[in-house]
Amino acid sequence: MFDELKQILVTSFQADPTEVTPDARLQDLGLDSLDMVELSLVLKSEWGVAISDDELIEYQQVGAVVAAVESRTARL
Amino acid sequence: MRDNETAAVVCGAGSWLPPRRVTNADLAGYLDTSDEWIVSRTGIHRRHVVDAGTSTGDLAVEAGREALKSAGDTQVDAVVLATTTPDRLCPATAPEVATRLGLTGVAAYDVSAVCTGFVYALASATGLIAAGVAERVLVIGAEAFTTILNPRDRTTVPIFADGAGALVLRAGTPDEPGAVRAFDLGSDGENSDLIQIPAGGSRQRSAGTPAGPGDGYFTMRGRDVYRHAVERMAASVRRVMGRAGWRLSDVDRLVPHQANSRISTAVAARLDIPDERCLSNIAEVGNTAAASVPLLLAQGSRQGWLRPGHRVLLTAFGGGLTWGSAALTWPELDIQGD
Repeated sequence: MFDELKQILVTSFQADPTEVTPDARLQDLGLDSLDMVELSLVLKSEWGVAISDDELIEYQQVGAVVAAVESRTARL
Repeated sequence: MRDNETAAVVCGAGSWLPPRRVTNADLAGYLDTSDEWIVSRTGIHRRHVVDAGTSTGDLAVEAGREALKSAGDTQVDAVVLATTTPDRLCPATAPEVATRLGLTGVAAYDVSAVCTGFVYALASATGLIAAGVAERVLVIGAEAFTTILNPRDRTTVPIFADGAGALVLRAGTPDEPGAVRAFDLGSDGENSDLIQIPAGGSRQRSAGTPAGPGDGYFTMRGRDVYRHAVERMAASVRRVMGRAGWRLSDVDRLVPHQANSRISTAVAARLDIPDERCLSNIAEVGNTAAASVPLLLAQGSRQGWLRPGHRVLLTAFGGGLTWGSAALTWPELDIQGD
């Protein structure tokens, strides 16, 4: 799941692939508040996972987003 | 009564921008913002702002005059004005605009759907023609939008701006260039508070308590608006394409409401419409709300971005919430002005 999210961050949000690690903060990868909304929409359309932009801002780190996606996917 | 073959056909276009230009650097001089922040969040570099004493009606008259001149016939049977910023709460602004254009006596009314207003007004005008109520209609989108902004609000002042655009429609046939082919209109009142001016209407006045500080100004919940705008406009464009019988490859130009360049980019990406087919002038004029679509159409036609025979999709999203799209072909026009 990390690799898929990394792919999205690199291709759709122009994140530097060398900087995308589980500890990296979304904000430090260059995502601003509108990007959080866009990422929320992409997670919904690509994977069917509902994670709001508010939650993404709260999670901050890539690893936390991966954990949230995995736990919500498991519940489906 | 006419037969089913009557279509509304675009036969004139015009636009008007108030002369005063305000740059991002001008705004950074008194607001906690910067050119870099505004450009990266909105794509806006400059915008036009009315001088003291200039109203929406003044802008509408200028754009309307240009459109009538372009149509080559200054007579119409109706004037439909889309605006969020009428000259007064009551009455509508359209009758006075009509009179100032030498059209006293014609049907004239305002349409209120915030940034979707022009697409709604275009549908209303198309209906007047289809029903045989009017042969020719002047449809205007005009906004002195900066007059409802809190001058200290760094979230709205950099985005919204003033301007006007207009089209003239006439009765014609569906196969001629300029024919309006299909509409998709929608609304969602569950989210009426995402974009609003809380005070000044009957809700606040009947409450018997004075308006709170700032309640008379326009407010917007930006992130929620982004989400709804992108999803609603993309879905609406797909529906209107279906109604027009067009496939993606048939679409020559997408003319999205100039809300924010990132919203337009996200909508086009979802629809797989390449950037070069997506018209934009937000960098120079900002978000002019109900004026943005006709302003972009008039400028696009003048600049050659829109050419006769192009199959064009208009799409808009605004407060209400409201959204709407239209499919039309572009005619040969002679447009002067800005």
